[in-house]
Amino acid sequence: MPIAWATAWRTWQMTRRAYPWTYAVGTVLPAALTIALAHLGFHVIGGGAVGDDFAAGSGTTAYLAYIVVGTTAFHFAVRLILWSAKALITEQRQGTLGALLIAPAGRLPYLLGFTGFAVLSSVLEFLTLGLVVAALGITVPVSSVPGALLGALALIAAVFALSVGLGGLMIAAGEAHISQNTVFIMLGLVGGFTFPRDYLPEPVRWFAELLPTTSAMDVLHGSFTGGQSLPELLPRLAVCAALTCAHLFLGLTCLPRAEARAVERTY
Amino acid sequence: MTMTTAIEVRGLRKDFPVREKGILGPRTLKRAVDGLDLDIPRGRVTGLLGLNGAGKTTTIKILATLLRPSAGTVRIDGLDAVADARAVRRRINLIAGGERMVYTRMTGRENLWYFGQLYDVPKADLRRRTGELLDLVGLSGAADTMVERYSRGMTQRLAIARGLVNRPDYLLLDEPTLGLDAPIARDLRRVVADLAAHDGTGVLLTSHYLAEVEELCGHVYVISAGRHLAQGSPAELKAATGSHRTVRLTVTDPTERTRAAADAFGATRETLPDGGELITLRHPGDMAGPLTAAVFEAGGSIGGLEIAEASLEDAILTLAERGEAGLAGPGSGRPDATTIRPGAATAPPEAATAPPEAATVPPGAGTAPSEAAAAGVKGGTP
Ligand SMILES: Nc1ncnc2c1ncn2[C@@H]1O[C@H](COP(=O)(O)OP(=O)(O)OP(=O)(O)O)[C@@H](O)[C@H]1O
Ligand SMILES: [Mg+2]
Repeated sequence: MPIAWATAWRTWQMTRRAYPWTYAVGTVLPAALTIALAHLGFHVIGGGAVGDDFAAGSGTTAYLAYIVVGTTAFHFAVRLILWSAKALITEQRQGTLGALLIAPAGRLPYLLGFTGFAVLSSVLEFLTLGLVVAALGITVPVSSVPGALLGALALIAAVFALSVGLGGLMIAAGEAHISQNTVFIMLGLVGGFTFPRDYLPEPVRWFAELLPTTSAMDVLHGSFTGGQSLPELLPRLAVCAALTCAHLFLGLTCLPRAEARAVERTY
Repeated sequence: MTMTTAIEVRGLRKDFPVREKGILGPRTLKRAVDGLDLDIPRGRVTGLLGLNGAGKTTTIKILATLLRPSAGTVRIDGLDAVADARAVRRRINLIAGGERMVYTRMTGRENLWYFGQLYDVPKADLRRRTGELLDLVGLSGAADTMVERYSRGMTQRLAIARGLVNRPDYLLLDEPTLGLDAPIARDLRRVVADLAAHDGTGVLLTSHYLAEVEELCGHVYVISAGRHLAQGSPAELKAATGSHRTVRLTVTDPTERTRAAADAFGATRETLPDGGELITLRHPGDMAGPLTAAVFEAGGSIGGLEIAEASLEDAILTLAERGEAGLAGPGSGRPDATTIRPGAATAPPEAATAPPEAATVPPGAGTAPSEAAAAGVKGGTP
């Protein structure tokens, strides 16, 4: 996988040179604020207790721990999408898309390189979130460590699969802002990150089921605050794996067309 | 393994969907390339000429597998450009003067390293090749400088090195010297000529600098509105369009004998205010010597001699205007470019008033065949 490695290394070099460290702060800060606000709301307004419907939907009364897992996962997913889905349109804006497309290298390792870099850099950034969580005195219970690790992997894979298609859409449309924000809002609303999906209307819940990130979040929440063991998590992991493969297949199938469209659109 | 070693283009067509008014307007098809046949063999520089919007870039992008043809086939050493795109990409590369094609936030060396990875260049070769290429384009000194600090010409030179990183069998050049200063453009021409002659690379070149095309190309296709107009060597194209070189000879003391000599060549004569005579001869061949000798032997004093080279530019313009296809049979051999007489004395005033496209070339200037040259000869009475 030399192309994935070379791409990750190249991205690291370019990022290191161009981004000030405040950029990392900028990505972690929203997540930290969300958690801090939830902390405030929970203790000051909610009186430190959760409603019965939340407990029933989320399987936990540890509201803040649920929020910590969900918020961290959401902002992590956003970071991965910003890197992986925007990789190709960034090439287009830099004037390097043509040079990339005429090379014989496959697009999958290229995009994996971006995601690999994004995962590593984001993990480093999000470790600082741990400090915020500790400072607020929130403890996050873990019921299944392998489940949590598999859930994290599942989330990365699911976001990657979504990013391939989204990246294609972006270069075909020549637009990143609307596409990415639509996806972020959609994920935040229906993806089961920071509140249980039981609050959502039935059709929306079914739509959410089509996103591979939804089952990945079930696994993550389940293995932290949900109190579930690995065998209990496996069915949702399987659903996530199947949906991830389906999305990846779709995305990779459509990508060449999107690339051709991107070249046709710009002249 | 392969049947042919050439790029073969047959019946190539490309339609772009375009919307007339805004995003909701009716969708129509714009035909950019319309039934082209091209052969680009190894070891030759093939030119693709046409006015703005003729379809050159579109054609090159299809050959580079960037665009898909709407109809027709492109085969590269027998491989299909659409079905076998991956294999085709290993054998070709593209250098486009109008596009950046390198990363600004990396150094020159890092860029070549990264593209080397994309082309799967063996690790052992890549380091050496990167050095060689940087040397070739004169960027060794700036190899470890970030491209964003490069000048435009330096960036373009790096883009050229990028286009050679996989040692392509076929090199597609879309206005590669755009924005390069003269010495660098000349170096690039030398590299291209060398690649074709010594490495057997098949090169397809588009350029608006027709002198460049004339210097490099063994064969030229002329297209207009995506259609084939003409093809042949630059000399054949010039001959076929009746682009003649023009010889203008000034005789200071015209007599019946000098007039007869000029008439024998089919030249036209014109009396000048000072009593002299201007003899003008348009001919595909190099007639300056024989005409001058004949007039001189007829006792005429030569006041000035001026030769305007037939230019490929004239030929292309004529072709584009005529918009006609087909060419007469192969013409005469490539006319040698500039006739400069070693013994030329000081140029008379007439020679200074050169036609717009004529340039005064000093003897011994070993430049490319220039489009026009003027030289003066002063003869005495026998
Ligand atoms: N992506 C596109 N979408 C729609 N029309 C296009 C597209 N690309 C090119 N065209 C049209 O196709 C025709 C051929 O364009 P092309 O760029 O191939 O010309 P060219 O010969 O390279 O011209 P130039 O000498 O200006 O570079 C033009 O009329 C152009 O407007
Ligand atoms: Mg062009």
